[in-house]
Formats: sequence, structure tokens, C-alpha cells
Amino acid sequence: MIKITDLEKKYSTEEVVTVALNKLSLEVKKGEFVSIMGPSGCGKSTLLNIIGLLDDPDSGSYRFNDIEVAKFNERKRSELRKHNIGFVFQSFNLIDELTVYENVELPLVYTKVKASERKKQVEQVLEKMGIMHRRNHFPQQLSGGQQQRVAISRAVVTNPKLILADEPTGNLDSANGNDVMQLLTELNDQGTTIVMVTHSEHDAKFSHRIISMLDGKTVAENILI
Amino acid sequence: MIKNYIKIGWRNLKKQPFFTFLNTFGLAIGMAGGLLIALFIYDELSFDKMWDDAERIYRIDADIKFGGEENAFALVSAPMAEAMKKDFPQVESTVRFRDQGSMLLRKTGTTLNVKEAYGTFVDSSFFEVFGVKLILGDEKTALREPNTLILTKSAAEKHFKLEEAIGKTLLLNNEETYTVTGIVEDLPKNSILRNHTIYLAMSGLPDAQQNLWGSHNYSTFVKLRSDANIEDFQVVIQTMLGKYVIPWVQNIFPGITEEQFIASGNYLNYIVTPLTDIHLYSHRKPEMSPNNDIQNVYILSFIALFLIVLASVNFMNLSTAQSLKRAKEVGIRKTLGSSKGSLISQFLTESVLIAFISMIIAIIIAAFALPSFNELAGKAIKIPIASPGFLLIILSSSILLGLFSGLYPSFFLSRFNPVKTLKGTIGNQASKGGIRNGLVIFQFSISVFLIVSTLIVFQQLKYIQNKDLGYSKEQILVIEDAYTAGDKIHFLKEEVKKLPEVVNATLSSFLPTSKSRSSSSFFREGQTQQDQALNMQIWGVDYDYIPTLNIELIAGRNFDLKFGSDSSSIILNEAAIAILGLSPEEALGERVVYGMGFDDNKFFKIIGIVKNFHFESFRENIGALSFTLDDNAGLMAIKLSAGNFTNSIASIEKKWNSVAPGQPYNYYFLENEFNEVYQSEQRLGKIFVVFTILSIFIACLGLFGLAAFNAEKRTKEIGIRKVLGASTGQITYKLSIDFIKLVLISILISLPLAWYAMDKWLQDFTFHITIGWGAFLLAAFIAVFVSLLTVGSQSMKAAMLNPLKNLRTE
Repeated sequence: MIKITDLEKKYSTEEVVTVALNKLSLEVKKGEFVSIMGPSGCGKSTLLNIIGLLDDPDSGSYRFNDIEVAKFNERKRSELRKHNIGFVFQSFNLIDELTVYENVELPLVYTKVKASERKKQVEQVLEKMGIMHRRNHFPQQLSGGQQQRVAISRAVVTNPKLILADEPTGNLDSANGNDVMQLLTELNDQGTTIVMVTHSEHDAKFSHRIISMLDGKTVAENILI
Repeated sequence: MIKNYIKIGWRNLKKQPFFTFLNTFGLAIGMAGGLLIALFIYDELSFDKMWDDAERIYRIDADIKFGGEENAFALVSAPMAEAMKKDFPQVESTVRFRDQGSMLLRKTGTTLNVKEAYGTFVDSSFFEVFGVKLILGDEKTALREPNTLILTKSAAEKHFKLEEAIGKTLLLNNEETYTVTGIVEDLPKNSILRNHTIYLAMSGLPDAQQNLWGSHNYSTFVKLRSDANIEDFQVVIQTMLGKYVIPWVQNIFPGITEEQFIASGNYLNYIVTPLTDIHLYSHRKPEMSPNNDIQNVYILSFIALFLIVLASVNFMNLSTAQSLKRAKEVGIRKTLGSSKGSLISQFLTESVLIAFISMIIAIIIAAFALPSFNELAGKAIKIPIASPGFLLIILSSSILLGLFSGLYPSFFLSRFNPVKTLKGTIGNQASKGGIRNGLVIFQFSISVFLIVSTLIVFQQLKYIQNKDLGYSKEQILVIEDAYTAGDKIHFLKEEVKKLPEVVNATLSSFLPTSKSRSSSSFFREGQTQQDQALNMQIWGVDYDYIPTLNIELIAGRNFDLKFGSDSSSIILNEAAIAILGLSPEEALGERVVYGMGFDDNKFFKIIGIVKNFHFESFRENIGALSFTLDDNAGLMAIKLSAGNFTNSIASIEKKWNSVAPGQPYNYYFLENEFNEVYQSEQRLGKIFVVFTILSIFIACLGLFGLAAFNAEKRTKEIGIRKVLGASTGQITYKLSIDFIKLVLISILISLPLAWYAMDKWLQDFTFHITIGWGAFLLAAFIAVFVSLLTVGSQSMKAAMLNPLKNLRTE
């Protein structure tokens, strides 16, 4: 599903050039659950952003479902993203002005799903995540665990083929963190490919494969199953 | 989708009540100002467009130079109307007015006079040309016969029950009886005819039937046929000069040709002025009612535009400044697949929503401000809230303004990179705000420009007020319609002079502030070629005129009872003898002959020369003027000693009532009359003040918002600085200085522009101030002071917070 070859990304300010990704290569197969680990600043988030088509590489190749997307423009990336990729963030990134229902509905609005169909899908996913009773609340009225459930609901409501999770349990206590990992595992079991950046050894154990990064490169790979 | 946008927009507004208030209130204030001015301008542009075929009606004017005097008259001679109808097939009908000024009316058989400020003789073709309809009476017969009149409804109601009015008689100025033949609805406020309430039949005016081609006294309108070409008409009308005027002039200067007339530097040019242009473009003498100037309309349009742009700029600044708070939302939306376009539409929807709410508030503010505004502008404007056209304009302008204000913020916000916003590193990008600084500079440049302009307008007005006019206008009480006391008026004058608080009193129909003027041609004895004429105003006065008004004699003497022959003496002003080419000493004892085309040629001996005094507006040069002795007693001017005027007015009234029982005692102070001449400047001045304050207010509102935002953003920095030992003063300075710098730049930009614009404005006045540094320094001071106050208060508030609290917010 994902095939990355010799990917490079540099950030430069006036004085310093920081190499975020240094000729990195990586492959993720359909249905896999991959964790990416490494110290702060090793380039994991940059990699995740590029995989998620939020950012573009300076050079190298990125094939998504056998299509070369490294040189896609903003509009094409956006198009591909909204139909194929769901995101789960450490800080949930819910829109404070929207209710739970509206937050989850948002990706469907952007993929131009009809209102009646949206209602059905949103309710379905809220039911599944056990937060249906909170549908009319605003994010700030929810606990961290509930907010992350909303965020995951939003990520999966379009049935994406790929979910990218950036430290999804980072802001949660262990009980809520476990719940979230459980949810991701279930999604993976149902066929969704998952790429997760994490600092937590415990979380990483839920995945099939752990890729360790340092200074913009993969340095080790640990297959768990 | 739109519903979703509006929902979020609304929630965002609710979530930040302070900024929402600044945004909507600022925008509403600007819109309210703009709305009021727009209504004012709409009213100004609507003048005289309500008449049937208004676009085919023209006034015939005359530019005349003769006898050293140039005049732009809104008048032509009496026979002109008839001749045009006869000679030019394109003329469908004509109507003449001959203004009579104020008049007294009373119902026959009663004793109480009612004063009407404006009456005029008019041809019965009035109905045909203007399409005026009578509400009582018959347009076919009304005003046909001599000594008939028509009245406006409100003038008639002062005397009769309306339905009984037709056929009743009124006594005019205690002399002549007129029969009412028609009642017309009060004339529209946006017409040059608005002031006239009494219309007398022209057929009763002997002068109107004469062929005096050189005497210009009739305001004459023509209605052209619909196929007439106005350019052609403008050309052919000039043939009247050779065909009629020159043959008439030949009665006085036998053998003179049109070529000779023109070769001697004289001219008589007929000008065709569209009726609908008169109110804003015509500055002739005399106008039927005070006109405005299109320049004022332009100035006001600019001010309205300024106000709205200022308010929009606030909106842009506050929205972009707050963008940090929206950045996360942008990032999430983009991550979830929102395109840049749909984000732009979202933010535009929000700004249109704000603009719409602001417009509703603006209409409410405007409705409350309307009475004061009407007083300020001298209008009776209403907000046409029920008119679909108005609502459509309001709706579409809210949308346009929302789009205009929202455009920059939406592009600014939608540009955010999602990765950075979600990481929270967008801060630096959003808060630098080069464009925001530019917008603040723009706002303050406009404000400083307006402050300077206002100060200079007021300096000029003060200059006019305090300028030595060459006569004294202070403490002069003027009694109107003195003639109603009949022969006893002279007795009354002597009685009034005996009052202890009265310094002097004089009877005359002419005062330096009067609007009615008459000028005639004179020649020096023995020099009666047409190019030697002296055209000057001639004012009939009495012995006390010059001392009462404190006019300075620079040579010779005043009229004096001791000299029996003073009835054929004349006193000239400096301008008059300059045209004759004489010095004051040379002029004394010379004789001038009065009359051109009149049989009663009369010689006057020059006995005195007065210093030039300002009897015209400061916009004009002082023209030639003469005084002769005359019994004419329209006005009594009484010079009072300083003190309690109320008592003086009362004691003079007592005297008046004893000699003229039943006659109205109307009075005014000369100084107030003088001020009316500069009404349009004074209005402009006041309007400037109001809208300048408004614009500074709006600009400060924006600055206030930015300063508050800035302080909020730098909370952590302030906390750290305080922990490290910075004083409140140092922090206040640190937070304020950047804004003050912007204001200083604005001052540098706007001062030269203001100098240029005001210098141009002052050129309209023949007598004007020179622009000094005072206004600029004061304007700069006001701008800095007001902005310091605005920014400083916010900065100080932030600086005084407990530093621990500041740091905890991170």
C-alpha cells in the first residue's frame, strides 16, 4: 500500500539546515499495523505527515496504492487524502466550536456525502465507539478518553484504507490509553492499515511491526508476529 | 454547507464576545455614518427631479460684464421669455419668476398680518412648465388675472379653512388686495422652489410687460420640446444679443454695434442651465433658494467611504490578529480534506454574517442619530426602511462589505499550513502582521488627514468671523418690514434713538448682509461711452447709516441735514472710484450720471468716499458700491450698547406697538444674518467635526482591539520580563511603542496630503488664511495622544498583572 524510497526532507532556517528524513525507505503492506518509534526529532512525525499527504518530500519516491504521489499538488493530495486516510492525533484536534456529532460528520461533508447518508454513518460509528449519548456535547465537555474516541470516530467515519495515528495515547491515562489501542486493533482486524507513531513500548506491542528511527533514517525493524 | 458555515460562524462570535463586540460595533458605527451620508447625498442628487419632464426644463442665465463689473446672474430680462417662445421652435413653454422676498399677508377684514418669508411673481405658465397641480382651483384659470395669487397649503391654512380659500381675498403688504385662485401642495423640500409659499400673478406686474432688454430681473425657465438639441439651443440663444439687446442699447449709445460692444471688453452671454443641475452646480446671483455645491457632495462621499473602509480595516485587523485562535481549526479542516476554496467560503460567510448583523445595528444607530443629523445638515431625511429598493441596497451592501472585509482574512487564514498549525508553530507566521501594520497606518493617515482638515476649516471660519469687515456687525438689532409702520417710521426711529441703550439707528432697505441687491450703470459726467460705464450697486440710505454701521469715511463727508442739496449727493466706495480711475481726492466733487435706458437721467455729486467693506461673501472680491439718500425704509438697524439685549428688544417692541399696532414685530441680529452667509461652510465644518471624531473613534477601536490582542499574546513574555525585574512602566512602554511608531508614520504620510487638499479648498475664498504649522502640530498631538491613551491603557493593564498568573497561562 505504501512504498517509500530514498525519501528526503530538509527544514532550513537562515542559519541551520535540519535533515528530517535522510534517504529513508519504507514499505507498508495492506492490512498491516506498523509502529514507528524513536527519540524526539528523529523525523517520525515528518514521515507520518508525508505519508498522510500533509507535507511533501524534497526528493525520493512515495507510491500510494501504486500511484506516485510525491509530486502531487495540494489539490490532488487533498483529494486523495480525504477519500483514503484517517488521522488520529495526540491532542485529539477536535474543533471546539462543533459538537461531537458535527466533528465526526465533517469528513463526510468534505467528501460530499448526502445529509441523510451522513446521519446514518455518523450515528453508526458513534454507536460503535460508545459515545452516542454524547453526540450533542462540545469537545470541552468531554474527558480526554472520550475526546480521543470522538477523534477516532472521525478518522474512521469515511472508512479509510489507512489510519495514521500520532501518539494517540499520549494525552491519556493508562486505562483510556488501553481502550484506544483496543479500538485501533479492532479496526486493524477489520482490514484497515494502521501506521502509528509512539513513544510507548506498551502501545507498540499492539502492532505487527516496530520500525525504529534515528536522525531521519530507519535503524531497526522488529517484527512482532 | 452554508448552514454549517453560519453555525460555526455564529458559535465563534458567541465564544469571543469582546472581539465580536469590537468587530460588529466598529463596523456598525462606520456603516451608520456611511448610511447617513449616503441618504444625504441621495437627497442632494434628487433635487428637482420630481417635476414632469424635469429633464427638458432649463433656466436661462446670463454672464454679464459691463461697467467694470462682472456678474453671473441667474436672471435675464423681462422680454426674453416671450422672444424665445416666438423665435425658437424648440421652446415649448416658458415661465418667469420675479422674487419679492418676504411679504405680509392678512385676510381682508382682519388686522393681524402673517409674514411669509418668500413670495414671487410668476407667469400662469408655471403649471405648464413645471407640471405643478393645484389641489384646489383650476390650473387653466389660476394666476391669469392681475392681483390673483396661489398659495401653498400650509400658507393658506394660516388664513382660511382650505375648502373655503378659493375666491377669498388677502391684503398684501398692507397695500394691495389679491384674490386666491389656487392652492398647491407644499412644494417638495428637494426643490429650488421649496421656500416659496406665495405665487402672485405676473400679469399684475407692469415691469414684466416692458421691453427693458438691459435690465436683468427675471428668473426664466424654458421647457424644450422632447426632440430639441440642447447644444444647438445653447448656440442659437446667443443670437438674442444682436437681435434684441444691442438695438435696445442703441437707444442709449446710438450707433453702437455688437462688435463694438464686445471689442470694448464687455459681454453678455446667455447660458442654459438644466433645472436638475441648479442645486449642486449653480452659484449665480440670485438663486431662488440656497444651493449646495457638488464639491461638498464629493467631500462627503469621500468621508463616507473613509468611514466604511476604516471600519472594514478594523475588521480585517482584528480577524487576522485572532487567526491564531482559528489556526488549529484550519489545520484540522485541511487534514480532513477541506480545500482552500471551501475554507475561504467559510470565512467569507462568517464575515458576511458579521457585516449583516452590523448593518442591522447600524440602521438602529442611524435611526437614533437621524434627528441630530438632520439638524446638522439642514435636512428632513427619513430612513426609507419599508422601501424594497432600500432593503435590497442594504442587503447587497452588507454582503459586499462582508466580502470586502473578509477577503484578506480568509486568504490569510486559509493559507495556513496544516502541519504547522497542528504543531502550534504557526504563531510567528500569524502574528508578525506586516499588512496589519500597513492597515493601521492607513487608518491613522485618514484620521490625521481629517483632523487637519477640520482644524483648517475652523480656522478659516474663525478668520471670517473675526475679520475686520469694514463695518460693525455686533450689537445691531434689525427690525424687518419697517415700512408697515407707514409714515410714522421716522418718528419711531427718533423715539428709538432716545432709548438709553440705543447708540444709533438707521432706516434703509439695504444692509451688508442683505440678499437682495440692485445694481445700475453710472457714467462720469462727460464720459458716456459704453466702455466708460461704471456698474455698481446703489443703496438708498439715511443720514445715520454710515455712523450706525461704523463704516469708515476716507475722504469727504457723510450726508448731512445741513446741506439741503444732499438728495443729489452720492457716496462711493474705493472699488467704485478705482473703476473710474480716480483717487479719493480727485473723486470728491466730481459728478456721475445715473441711468441707462431710463429717461430720468440724474446727476449725483460725489461727496464722500468710504473704505471698502465686505458686503459680499469672502468668496468674492469687494465690488463697486454707492450710497444715496432715500426714504426707503424696509429695515431699521439699531446699534445697541453692550448689555442686556432682552430688555432692549422689549423696550423697542413697546415703542413699535405704540406706533404700528397690529403690525408684526420681527427682528434679527445682524451678526446672525452674517453667519447665515457662511452657513454652508459652517455646516461643512460641523459635519467634518462629527465624522472626524467618528473616524478617530473607529481607528482607536481597532487599535484598542489590536493592543488587547497583542498584550494577550505576549502574556508569557510580560511575565518573564517582570520576574526578571522589569517595571510596569518599562513593560507599558515596550508594548505601546510599536503602535505609536505606526501612528507617527501615519502623521508623516497624511500631513502633506492634508496640506495639499486644504490649500485647494481655501483657494475658493478670495479672502482666506494661510496654512500654518499650528493645525499640523495640533493634529499630530491629538493623534498621538488618543492612540497613547488607547494602547497605553491596554498595555498597562497587561503590565500590571501578577507575573505568576501570566506564566501560569502557558
